Amino acid sequence: MNRISRRSYIMYFFAFAFFIGLMILFFTMEANSGKWVVKDYNKHLYSNGELLAAGTITDRYGVVLAQTVDGERKYNDDYKVRTATLHVVGDTAGFISTGVHSSMKSQLTGYSLLNGVYKLKKNGTGNDIQLSIDSRLCVTAMDALGNNKGTIGVYNYKTGEVYCAVSLPTYDPYDKPKDIMTDDTGKYEGIYMNRYFSGLYTPGSTFKIVTACCAIDNLIDINTRTFTCNGAWVNKVGNKVTCNGVHGTLNFEQALQHSCNTAFASLAAELGNEKMQKTAEECGFNKKIYVDNFKLATSYYDVSDAYDIDRAWSGIGQYTTLINPCHSTMMVGAIANKTGYTPVPTLIKGKNTSKMNFMGSVSAKKLNQMLRSNVENYYGDNRFPNLVMCGKTGTAEVSGKKPHTWFVGYSQRDDLPLAIVVVCENSGGFGIDVAIPIANTVMQKAYELYVLAYANLGEEG
Amino acid sequence: MSGTRWFPTMLLISIFQVITFYQVIFSADGTLNMAAAIVFVIFTAIEWLWSVVSTIFLKKSSLALEYIAFFLTGISLVVAGSVKGSLMVKQFIAVVIGFVCYVVLLYIVSDVERAEKFRKPFAIASIAVLVFTLIFAKNINGAYNWISFGGFAVQPSELVKVSFIFVGAATLEKLQSKRSLTQYVIFAAACIALLFLMRDLGTALIFFFTFVVLAFMRSGDVRTIIFLILGAAMLAGLVVLMRSDYIMNRFATYRHVWDYATGKGYQQTRVLTYSVSGGLLGLGIGNGHLRDVFAATEDLIFGVLCEEWGMLIAFLVAQAFIFIFIHSIRCAKGARSAFYSIASCAAGGLLLFQAALNIFGVTDFLPMTGVTLPFVSRGGSSTISCWALLAFIKAADNRTWAEVKKKK
Repeated sequence: MNRISRRSYIMYFFAFAFFIGLMILFFTMEANSGKWVVKDYNKHLYSNGELLAAGTITDRYGVVLAQTVDGERKYNDDYKVRTATLHVVGDTAGFISTGVHSSMKSQLTGYSLLNGVYKLKKNGTGNDIQLSIDSRLCVTAMDALGNNKGTIGVYNYKTGEVYCAVSLPTYDPYDKPKDIMTDDTGKYEGIYMNRYFSGLYTPGSTFKIVTACCAIDNLIDINTRTFTCNGAWVNKVGNKVTCNGVHGTLNFEQALQHSCNTAFASLAAELGNEKMQKTAEECGFNKKIYVDNFKLATSYYDVSDAYDIDRAWSGIGQYTTLINPCHSTMMVGAIANKTGYTPVPTLIKGKNTSKMNFMGSVSAKKLNQMLRSNVENYYGDNRFPNLVMCGKTGTAEVSGKKPHTWFVGYSQRDDLPLAIVVVCENSGGFGIDVAIPIANTVMQKAYELYVLAYANLGEEG
Repeated sequence: MSGTRWFPTMLLISIFQVITFYQVIFSADGTLNMAAAIVFVIFTAIEWLWSVVSTIFLKKSSLALEYIAFFLTGISLVVAGSVKGSLMVKQFIAVVIGFVCYVVLLYIVSDVERAEKFRKPFAIASIAVLVFTLIFAKNINGAYNWISFGGFAVQPSELVKVSFIFVGAATLEKLQSKRSLTQYVIFAAACIALLFLMRDLGTALIFFFTFVVLAFMRSGDVRTIIFLILGAAMLAGLVVLMRSDYIMNRFATYRHVWDYATGKGYQQTRVLTYSVSGGLLGLGIGNGHLRDVFAATEDLIFGVLCEEWGMLIAFLVAQAFIFIFIHSIRCAKGARSAFYSIASCAAGGLLLFQAALNIFGVTDFLPMTGVTLPFVSRGGSSTISCWALLAFIKAADNRTWAEVKKKK
């Protein structure tokens, strides 16, 4: 009998193993609950694959962008608001992955581990979310882009709040085009993508900010140097990087103003693979950046095995280089803050996000001065009245199509700490002619909404 | 649980059952579910009658085991009733038959000498039933383990579980020669092989685990057990190689159910999603969506409990099998004879192992083998066999026979 009783002690092992298994199961369920509950087959949340009951989504001034009325998901009544905010709000079937309907599903549905989806079933609605975007600014941006495909993003470099993230082409969720899947003319290309967060473009001349940053970091005499532009940069074996003009003799600041390819190609060639790669990665290339619950498309820069001619092309934003528009606003935000730090963007009003470093403060201050000088002394402040704008244009060559035009910049006004990016896909022309007027239209609207409105309030008060 | 302590426990169980049965008896639209009401009254009467008779008249004062079983059975009846009143009646009939089997088996094993006489007939009947099943069974969900009699479908492998332990414990208890061990090994191997041929992988695994427990309780040699397990694993590997089609199918989605959410991982992904939808407190009986998925109240019952009754109750149900098993071990330690010790541990281990296969199977922690959750899953054969297995644990408890001893 004693032997038997000793043996039974071994049996406790099985009970213990089962108990540990249950604990692991419980904590796995707890840890993944938010992810598992929002599967599109969950009939508590979805009907025919459409998210039904969820909280109300409003913009930063409380304008309702989406809500559930009588068990049906309704968007804003205004056609323009619906289409301009579509990519931020997202569709209920989950095609737009960075849309709030997808990326913040578990908050919207009011799911909690304690009560499950009970709150949703009882009240027919989940938690409300107030976004940082301003629907009026979004509509202005959409109108300003006009018939271009592309994106406009506006971001507060003090708080990280995204005020505007418009992506074209777009559609009306109440009247979704039937031929999206069958169309082969390309007019719906990337219609489900929010280009501001998920787009990747050849940066063109806007990348000269990074090349300049690398030069400031590594070349002691950069401020006293002169460059001679004869219309192209040529390496030892005769390969050329052509310039957009024949600029003659320029100093560093003038080279950036004129966006002189000869100067920046020679800088990149001189700096070498290692230093260019290092600076680009510090500036956020090849780095995963998360905005709320989703990841930005990762900007790409790789010259680790490049020849000098490829590196020279990369220095003016060509070669294999790609940049995400949201990333580009973060980068100029770090310059605008003059510290090299900028808050990670967020779509939630009032949310505190961590700060991210892009460069040293010396480079940030110098670049801030140069980008201001670009507008002040080259593009002209009359292109951006009242805004104290800083920035850089770009014209990105893409094979087989017209170039993309860019503007990325920011206002230096303390009462308007906004950075903006404008990308017009295959628009042709130059950034200065195409992108700058669009950027100005949007920034003037912001000035009107956030500066003049408050100034008037002040006068009234 | 001695003397007067049975009363508050039984009262708590009844309160829990009043609350849960209420939701089935009085549905939301105010109609009265008569069948459910009758089942509730009779079931409660049986529970109290058994308690009173056991404690007052028979002075058998340990009722912990029955109370756990009553608790689990109550849940299974309510779940069946929340689907359809008639299913609750069917399930209740199985419970009553199971309870009768429990009492009869308790009587048979109360005398080890008498039990010995049943050893050979049980062994022969088991093999015969399994062979008969293999030949005449209908293919249901890929397994050939159901036999139909008129309107009734029976799963013989469930019932063979009982005699598997019975025969094992009876043989090993009187183990004097190598011959009886060999006989039993052949019997066990035959049972497991027949289950394999029926494509009832889950039950085959349960039998194997039970065999390991039986063998270990007898020999006490960990090394032998390890050799045994390794040998079986190699054999199983061979079988898998030979019959890769059907076994590999079961393992194909294992740990990848989210990649096959519309195909072979359908049931597991639904279990996981709807389980967490219920949260800790649940959505209320009948308010879930998992119940619309195939085999919800049978194999997937754990998910239904999570969704509708809440994860707290579902995990409490899971813990119940630990209590049953620990109870079986404690009874085994003080049992009058090795027969009881071995049978008790084997029965407790079988129930725990089956619960583990079920719970971890539907949640993709283990490959899904389609076994039921003891006492809770809907199904006649499995309910009857669970109650019958309980008799082995009860029999090992010395307190059960306190009165008998005094008479002698």
